[in-house]
Amino acid sequence: MTQAGAPTIGLRDRFRSIEIDTRLLGMFGVLAVIWIGFHIMSNGNFITPRNLWNLSVQSASIGIMATGMVLIIVSRNIDLSVGAQLGFVGYTMAMLQTVWIPISLGMGLDQPFTWILTVVFGLAVGALIGLIQGFVVAYGGVPSFIVTLGGLLVWRGLIFQYAQGQTLAPLDSTFRLLGGGPAGSIGEVGSWAIGLVAIAGIIYTLFANRRRRRRYGFVFRPKWAELALGVIGTLAVLAAVWVVNSYGWPEQLAHDLYDRLGLPWPPGGVFLPVGIAYPVIIMLAVGLLMTYLTTRRRFGRNVFAIGGNPDAAVLSGINVRRTIMLTFGLMGVLAAISAVVQTARLNAAVTGLGVSNELDVISAAVIGGTSLSGGIGTIPGAILGAVVMQSLRSGMVILKFDSPVQDIVVGIVLVTAVGFDALLRRRST
Amino acid sequence: MSVRRVAVLFATVMVVGAACNAAAPTPTATPAPVATATAAPAGCVVGVSWNNYQEERWAKWDEPALKAAIEAGGGTYISNDAASSEETQASNIENLQTQGAQVLVVLAQNTSAVLPSVDAAIDAGIPVIAYDRLIESPRVLYTSFNNVEVGRMIAREIFALVPSGNYVIIKGNGADANSDFLRGGMEEIIGAAVTAGDINIVGETYTDNWTPSLAQTEMENFLTAANNDVQAVLSENDGMAGGVVAALEAQGLAGDVPVGGQDGDLAALNRVALGTQVVSVWKDARLLGDATGKAAIALCSDPDPSHVAGTATFHTPGDNDVAGILLDPLPVTKDNLSAVLDAGWITEEVLCQGVAAGTVTGCP
Amino acid sequence: MTLASQPAPETPAAPSTTPGDNRVPLVEMRDIRVSFGGVHAVDGVSIDLYPGEVMGLVGGNGAGKSTLMRVLSGAHVADSGQILIDGQAVTIHNPRDAKAQAIETIYQTLALADNLDAPANIFLGREKCTKTGALDDGAMESETRQILGRLNPRFKNFKTAVKSLSGGQRQSVAIGRAIYFNARILIMDEPTAALGPAETAQVRELITQLQSEGIGIFLISHDIHDVFDLADRISVMLHGKMVGTVNKQDVTTDEVLAMIIMGKLPGEITRKDLAELHH
Repeated sequence: MTQAGAPTIGLRDRFRSIEIDTRLLGMFGVLAVIWIGFHIMSNGNFITPRNLWNLSVQSASIGIMATGMVLIIVSRNIDLSVGAQLGFVGYTMAMLQTVWIPISLGMGLDQPFTWILTVVFGLAVGALIGLIQGFVVAYGGVPSFIVTLGGLLVWRGLIFQYAQGQTLAPLDSTFRLLGGGPAGSIGEVGSWAIGLVAIAGIIYTLFANRRRRRRYGFVFRPKWAELALGVIGTLAVLAAVWVVNSYGWPEQLAHDLYDRLGLPWPPGGVFLPVGIAYPVIIMLAVGLLMTYLTTRRRFGRNVFAIGGNPDAAVLSGINVRRTIMLTFGLMGVLAAISAVVQTARLNAAVTGLGVSNELDVISAAVIGGTSLSGGIGTIPGAILGAVVMQSLRSGMVILKFDSPVQDIVVGIVLVTAVGFDALLRRRST
Repeated sequence: MSVRRVAVLFATVMVVGAACNAAAPTPTATPAPVATATAAPAGCVVGVSWNNYQEERWAKWDEPALKAAIEAGGGTYISNDAASSEETQASNIENLQTQGAQVLVVLAQNTSAVLPSVDAAIDAGIPVIAYDRLIESPRVLYTSFNNVEVGRMIAREIFALVPSGNYVIIKGNGADANSDFLRGGMEEIIGAAVTAGDINIVGETYTDNWTPSLAQTEMENFLTAANNDVQAVLSENDGMAGGVVAALEAQGLAGDVPVGGQDGDLAALNRVALGTQVVSVWKDARLLGDATGKAAIALCSDPDPSHVAGTATFHTPGDNDVAGILLDPLPVTKDNLSAVLDAGWITEEVLCQGVAAGTVTGCP
Repeated sequence: MTLASQPAPETPAAPSTTPGDNRVPLVEMRDIRVSFGGVHAVDGVSIDLYPGEVMGLVGGNGAGKSTLMRVLSGAHVADSGQILIDGQAVTIHNPRDAKAQAIETIYQTLALADNLDAPANIFLGREKCTKTGALDDGAMESETRQILGRLNPRFKNFKTAVKSLSGGQRQSVAIGRAIYFNARILIMDEPTAALGPAETAQVRELITQLQSEGIGIFLISHDIHDVFDLADRISVMLHGKMVGTVNKQDVTTDEVLAMIIMGKLPGEITRKDLAELHH
């Protein structure tokens, strides 16, 4: 086969020929502008290892849920209950580790198995909630907007009813590590190891794709493009790891750690790289798995087909109902994962946990390019959307903008992003 | 993304819920069927409009005390919940009147938005008590803890430890007058030092709906911006103080940077025992509930607020003089933890969880 | 190489037939009834199809021909009636059941997921997977290139969403999907409605070729000339009932028109009817 369409015209077409998502690229550009803008306005306080590390942790919870929201929205549904689900699961998990295991079962606090039992329990509750809602949507024929609006009220109401306003704290000491913090991070060596695995993954994927396309005799990317992608990807991973490793343990914490380990505190202090925080590792793992699920598995393909044309999906023999139900079940699991991250991070379960998170999650997915009319959306876009939103909020707090101003700015950005996207899509077709 | 939009969603269902609850004492039925055992049949129906149950106090402490005082006075207690929505609260107040309330107790979601409903009630001859949160009308009876004093107490404890340095102030919801009362009280204590340049406020923000996780993110960002050069934090309640302490813990600063809050939340009192929070100003909600219940019964026979025993004139920020019953709160620090234990507010087990033996008086 | 590598049928390319001969029909639908609300969309209709035969199914709007075919393709479950394949009674409750019987359908709407590319559409619901259960996009694209290359040599956009393809290209994808999976029974609902003359000719050629491979084809069409050119037999429906089935060589277009409009069989038509028809 010869190279198709050799005299390429537009830049867009060229990007398409090397299979790069121009939209995602654009979002990276927007993020860069936001970061640089805040950096200048905050007199160099934004693009610092510490703030970027903070940003990564602060984005994790919304980012995790946004990946599930992509599938929900792609299949022409919506889930308004994710915040309430998160609150409900978070609260039950906190009950388990502060009341049920230590007091009701009389086993005491801080058992070594408490955290894993809690996580498994939470994920199961989340899956159950999601599947129940999904069942009503898919088999009961009730619009998802209504089902999840009802769900929002029910799950939130159950917390209020049951909790009577009581804050549950502190949580299990191992469980808390899942919320991040220097102790809840993987450290320098672990971070480099993850980085190297990621680089190996990038190179393997590029090679595997090339080999596959060659095997079938398809056109493949020009060598320079493959090389450029590999180099850019590698550099990005190295830069990210370098940044999180440049953030050192706060002196006081490091001091405490040395005391606990019985080590003498060196006179000049010590620099202990923090590395990637566990919530961020969780988000990246979720992102990878969800990307695999949406692009490489039949389930994901079916979800996109349903969103593109529900009738065609039925006629082609896809079990539409089961697929829809599963997307909600998956969303429940992801809300539970976020509940782990949020409660562990706050070291408490409060009744207001997750309030209005559904709006942030939907916004992140939509800013990330998910189309509310269905059929279009990507996982990396949604995670990037969450990072963009959190960057705006964090930056504005650092600039001392008050919460109403933040709301206004985020609202305008949301509408602008979607409007701009719609414009580009209309032009490109 | 305001929580208010969600609240509106809540409102829709809550209104329906409130209407259903109304079934028990209907206007046509003889009032006070519950109270007949202990009091006169012509007892006073007191309608209470709660704004929400999110904070760890209303349902647990205020409501039982309020209800007990009303029933002890021969009255009947009816109530509904507005779930943080101004709109719902407006219809809730009307619903209570339809149900035959002769006195209204209103915990306002919003100091000014509630005014039209309150005015309408007073015009209809139903006296209104502004419970814990001020309502800007000269015709209401205001019962509360002295919130300005609460702000003063938080600041006083912290200021005594940190007379100079960098302060962060985490305020509550911007639409809640208490946020500004508290801030006003704080200003009275630290204002001079701020003017003199001894105290530098490196971060100050309102927090949507007093959300703890938001307060945590705010604190993280303030710490980042100030490069951890923060010596004290004034938080306007305990829930947000929990978020602040979590942010400080991540920097190894918890326990070193004094944090003040209020409400006497159980988790906060535990932090006081642990030393990660210096003070939680405790407003024994039962006292307020009790005083308000008694005042409501008194208003039933004489609707003039100024005739209620124990009132004093309170000058509001909106330039109104209202009759007020203002109770004094109690700052709980490491030195007087026995007060909350003795009152039965908290068990020793919860208060002392994780506290090393023999380090805190009140804990084993 | 044949288009659909279906094992050669016993009687290839023998467009017969007088109904009631001894051969077993490929498909037989007996006394099918479908009603929506109180309306009988299909009211006791029977129809059959032999291997290598093109059965034209005609009738006005709302005659029930599409609904009848939706029953066969599993898109709609009949209220009563029987479906026999090769003389064996089968149950078709959904599109999967139909596909299991090698019944494929090209819908008038094409039934494409507009947001997906051509390979994803061709293999929709029947994706090729690797040993690990992951989608084998390479294999699917490769097969798609082969099948579409034969249907439409100018087809190039294998990676773009079918939304941005031309009508003819979209039609190719829909046809490709139907014939890739070794269909024995093909239902074509208005396959040329959206096409230009050149593309229409291509589809006709395709039908003839499929027929020669022993595939049975139901051809639903508004265009009576199309039907006359391609079909071996013609069944006419009116108001949910079967008017009758005729051999193409036994009738004129006028007679079929009379069946469609008046519901009268060729023997029943009067001179007056014909005059009215042409009026």
